Amino acid sequence: MSELQAFITLGFRHITDFEAMDHILFLLVLAAIYRARDWRNSLWVISAFTVGHSVTLALAVMGAVVVPARLVEFLIPLTIVATCVENLFVRDRAYAWWGGRYRPVFAGVFGLVHGAGFANYLRDLFVAPIAVPLFGFNVGIELGQIVVLALTAAALAGFDRCVGAVAPRFGSPLRLRVVAVSVLVAVVAARWAVERSPW
Amino acid sequence: MRMLWAVGAAGALVLHPLHTTLTQLSYDAGNRVALITIRAFADDFHAAARGVSDSAAFAYAAAGFTLTDRDGRGLALEWCGVRRTGDLLWLCLRAPAPGGLAGLRVHARLLFDRFEDQINIVQASYGARRVSLLFSRGDLPQPLP
Repeated sequence: MSELQAFITLGFRHITDFEAMDHILFLLVLAAIYRARDWRNSLWVISAFTVGHSVTLALAVMGAVVVPARLVEFLIPLTIVATCVENLFVRDRAYAWWGGRYRPVFAGVFGLVHGAGFANYLRDLFVAPIAVPLFGFNVGIELGQIVVLALTAAALAGFDRCVGAVAPRFGSPLRLRVVAVSVLVAVVAARWAVERSPW
Repeated sequence: MRMLWAVGAAGALVLHPLHTTLTQLSYDAGNRVALITIRAFADDFHAAARGVSDSAAFAYAAAGFTLTDRDGRGLALEWCGVRRTGDLLWLCLRAPAPGGLAGLRVHARLLFDRFEDQINIVQASYGARRVSLLFSRGDLPQPLP
């Protein structure tokens, strides 16, 4: 196995592990508003998230920025809650600000925060030359996210079908799904934010 | 709701820890010894080694990291110290390897007794080669080409 493959595997396993629940829930709420046919938009948003966390990860591992771990641990669940709130309040994206195209920017900025969470562990572990490990780790994270996204999309499509078949009077299954996922995830993330509060 | 709370509890305990060690394995051709540097997070390692003394660290490291020659004999590891930088321990080991590193079998089981998701990476550099091996729970020893 090459060094690149080893770190791709490390990144992939890291993001697909149950303990990566904070990142997985963030991906879930990012993806919750999309249908299967919107997969390009979904992939675009997830990739923006990857770019964001790659930037902070690289800067932190190189020592260019130092982010207090306790603050990052608190901010990560807040990004999840903010995404849930956005999901709940923006009902029609066609009429949303900038036609709803701000979402990748939003995901990229929040990715900066999540990247700092990775960095606190990796900064100590990587030593020069860091380019290959860092690149490999990020590629692994991205591949892992695509797998999580695919599984999420399948689960959400299943949810839509069940709702459509069992309770058609509830209206749009998509809206019901967005509300259900966003409320449940917001409850979990709000609990994390309270427990991780540095104050 | 109880399940939701359990998910919340899992995330609240620790923020996405990375259970990994990184071992650099190189060869000193002049003295014919394998040089091993294990980087591990100090709190995890000390907890697994059940102590912070050099002897506890060496006993645990030597049990968790093994080199075996082509005939299946384990190479005798020697302790050459430990240093700490921040949260990280740098453990130094060496082993006489008169035949070089090619063909040796490596097994890195460090912290598998502690974490289900532990991954150990071994980066070996010898001659013109640079090889990475990745170990997770249940993996068998892997040969160096």
